[in-house]
Amino acid sequence: MTLSKLSLRNARRQARDYLVYFVTVVMAAALLYSFNGLVFSREVQQLSEAMNTLPFVIILASIVVVCIFGWLVSYATGFMLSRRSRELGTYILVGLTNEQVARLFFLENLAVGGAALALGLVLGGVLYQILRAILFAMFNLPYHFAMALSFPAAGLTLFYFALIYLHALRKSRKRIRKMKIYDLIYFDRQNEGAAVPAGKLRRWMFGVSILLGVAGTALLMAGDLITGIIGAGGLLAALFGFFLSFASGVPAFFEKRPVRKYQGQTLLVFRTLTSKLATMGTVMAVISVIFTATLLTEGSGLVFNGIFRGRAAETACFDLYFGIEGKNRNPGSYLEYIDENIPVEQSVLYQVYLSDSSQVQDYVSSRTVYYYYNYDRDPVLCWSDYAALRSVAGYPAVEMEPGQYLIHCMTYLEEPLRDYDQPITLGNVTLTPGSICTEHLSQSLGVGNGRGYILVVPDEAVAGQTVHHLAYAAKTLQPVSAQQYEALTNMAAMEYDQQESPVGYAFVTTKANEAAQVAIQTSLLVFPVFYLALALSMTAATILTIQQLSETDRYRRQFILLRKLGMDRQEMERALDHQFALYYAMPAVPPILIAVPCIFHMAMLPEPGVMEGMSSPMVIVAFSLALFFLIYAIYILLAHTSLKRSVLPE
Amino acid sequence: MLQVQNIEKYYGSKNNVTKALDRVSFEVEDGEFLAIMGASGSGKTTLLNCISTIDTISAGKILLDGMSIADLGEEELAKFRRERLGFVFQDFNLLDTLTVEENIGLALSLNHQNPGTVQNRVREVAGKLGITDILTKFPYQVSGGQKQRAACARAMVAGQSLLLADEPTGALDSRASKNLLKIMTAMNQDMGATILMVTHDAYSASYAGRVLFLKDGRVFNELLRGERGRSAFYHEILDVLAALGGDISDVI
Repeated sequence: MTLSKLSLRNARRQARDYLVYFVTVVMAAALLYSFNGLVFSREVQQLSEAMNTLPFVIILASIVVVCIFGWLVSYATGFMLSRRSRELGTYILVGLTNEQVARLFFLENLAVGGAALALGLVLGGVLYQILRAILFAMFNLPYHFAMALSFPAAGLTLFYFALIYLHALRKSRKRIRKMKIYDLIYFDRQNEGAAVPAGKLRRWMFGVSILLGVAGTALLMAGDLITGIIGAGGLLAALFGFFLSFASGVPAFFEKRPVRKYQGQTLLVFRTLTSKLATMGTVMAVISVIFTATLLTEGSGLVFNGIFRGRAAETACFDLYFGIEGKNRNPGSYLEYIDENIPVEQSVLYQVYLSDSSQVQDYVSSRTVYYYYNYDRDPVLCWSDYAALRSVAGYPAVEMEPGQYLIHCMTYLEEPLRDYDQPITLGNVTLTPGSICTEHLSQSLGVGNGRGYILVVPDEAVAGQTVHHLAYAAKTLQPVSAQQYEALTNMAAMEYDQQESPVGYAFVTTKANEAAQVAIQTSLLVFPVFYLALALSMTAATILTIQQLSETDRYRRQFILLRKLGMDRQEMERALDHQFALYYAMPAVPPILIAVPCIFHMAMLPEPGVMEGMSSPMVIVAFSLALFFLIYAIYILLAHTSLKRSVLPE
Repeated sequence: MLQVQNIEKYYGSKNNVTKALDRVSFEVEDGEFLAIMGASGSGKTTLLNCISTIDTISAGKILLDGMSIADLGEEELAKFRRERLGFVFQDFNLLDTLTVEENIGLALSLNHQNPGTVQNRVREVAGKLGITDILTKFPYQVSGGQKQRAACARAMVAGQSLLLADEPTGALDSRASKNLLKIMTAMNQDMGATILMVTHDAYSASYAGRVLFLKDGRVFNELLRGERGRSAFYHEILDVLAALGGDISDVI
């Protein structure tokens, strides 16, 4: 049998034995290819001018992803090398040279990598179409399915894969060439010592790592860059310290409590786990670090997504809106441009007034976080303008009783304002509180409909009140184009420049522009972040799984013996499930404890009123965990079925 | 205690049947030390596996204390194994991840015994077998002889009535073998354990009270030690083995 034939046969066996790893490498190729597709796609870059930076961002993210997958492949090849050392030793024993064995190993890994790449390109083509469809949907463009192999994208993927594989194989080649036949054959008989043997040192390390974990999380949440970096360093040390000391601490715990040790399946479960942890302490710590990074990345991706959408939702409630502050307040040039260029179905030109006092603002400030202090008095809108605005925005009509005032506010202010029962006085009209409305109404702008809230009063009550700014809202027949938006914005900028002592400014927003901004920000920031998170979680879950499945033989021997000793199948299944659940829960628990408060804190950072509904902090935390566990669960399920099938005796 | 009645065991498919056991019958009395001898492929281990309920028989009956083990369901079989049978294997079969004490305690833990009494019971048995000082060690940290004594301790710690040993001295040097066989004799004589040992080593068999010879799946001969000394019995065993016609190097 020639060397290449043997390599090919081994490659097939490797793909079968390490199916989970093989699938991950295929997925890695698919991910790299699909994002490379975005790098080279003209049509994607033509979606908007800002999308020109997308290739740069994606390549930057890809470099990190290549490093992550590079580590995975390097770790997995090294791991397989250890597992197969006896077999490789036998090749040398029967007369192959170290160099030939190294070449054999190199060829078979190259074959596996090549097959994964080929499959990955096909899968990546589909994945690219999904990314394309999402992008087009975000830009409100029609999507047509068009499957085609992008040669530049495939070339770049091949280049990345060559980097990943050549790095890993160079390392293992060096190892094989240096290895002596005795080492290869007896490699798997060597025992590894406990990571932290001494009791006192271990307890000390355990305690310190818990404290470091808490302190690190707190520092990470402080928000400052320097403290953030110190916090991240603390967390790294905490996770390593925790896993290394925990592994050696558990046996000591049960040593002192023999009664608990012999209860139920504790003995088997804890011993299997600690025997793994002693050798896997470092790996568990690394995986824990990766999981923490994954959760934080997913969380920040969702927070960014929430910020973009939340901010846009508030300002994108009108197809076209502008507000003009300042002395002149002449909308003439804007209206002229709109008349000539933008077909309008319905519009309203109105004024936002100021009341005589800041009583509502004072009340709101005393009850909740409120930092929109650019109105010195409560903003007011007259009823007829408000009704017209609702109609332009497409909201249902509301009623207001005579002698009452209505509050329209952002959702986060609804709760405190619901308790507000004070009457307001405008001139000589006194009004009592009426109902509250909370639809989006451009309430986050300086020249919007109040900031956070506005009081709606009967038309006659605004007579003689100070005007704060002038505003215009319209429902257009077609979405306002990017050029039209630009023309209006330029107009606002020019007018601002012309003011002798600029005191007031104008601001234009359109629904279409807000949607495009969200699409751009999402593709430039959220896409790459999830790309990273996916690579991170897949890598960590794969390493855990190949470690677990490589123990299949040991588990099988254990359960065969237990069966002989009279353990029934149900109990065996329970013991295996316990072992399994603990094994997969261990590296995930510390990251969850660290990431949940951090993500929650991150989601609380944006100004109030942005992270609402599906972007509220609790929902973001829940989504981050769900996303993380979705990927994790796939690997857990794969490992569980495979293990149960091959471990439990018939 | 144990009655093996006309058992047969076939392996293989329709056209290629191997008869591993052919109408084997014998009885084991309470407190007896019985050795089963035979060359490789004579059916010794198959017989032991059938008695220990790890394997099933094709025909015949195995009765333990008058109860047929073929009539037991899966759960009852598991219960039967953990309560009534103790195992000692050639390759020790201790779990590497457990200490010696825990390996022995495992048998009690599987029997759902009060966790509070496990440690004391393990120490008591370990004391009798002279392995108290290695209880906290892991199997890979102790010698083969010590491992096998730990396996013996596990086989009797839960009060099992029948100890089944499959080539217990197979992986031990002569000194450790002798030591183990002495301990097994003590377990039999002083602690009243009934022992069924499969071996192809005549020296090991000479410690038993009775030796059963298997050839090609059948009982070929039977030797009783009676009042004879161990050395005389050993030579008599060798004579039978010579008559058995097996490769002599295979049985010594």
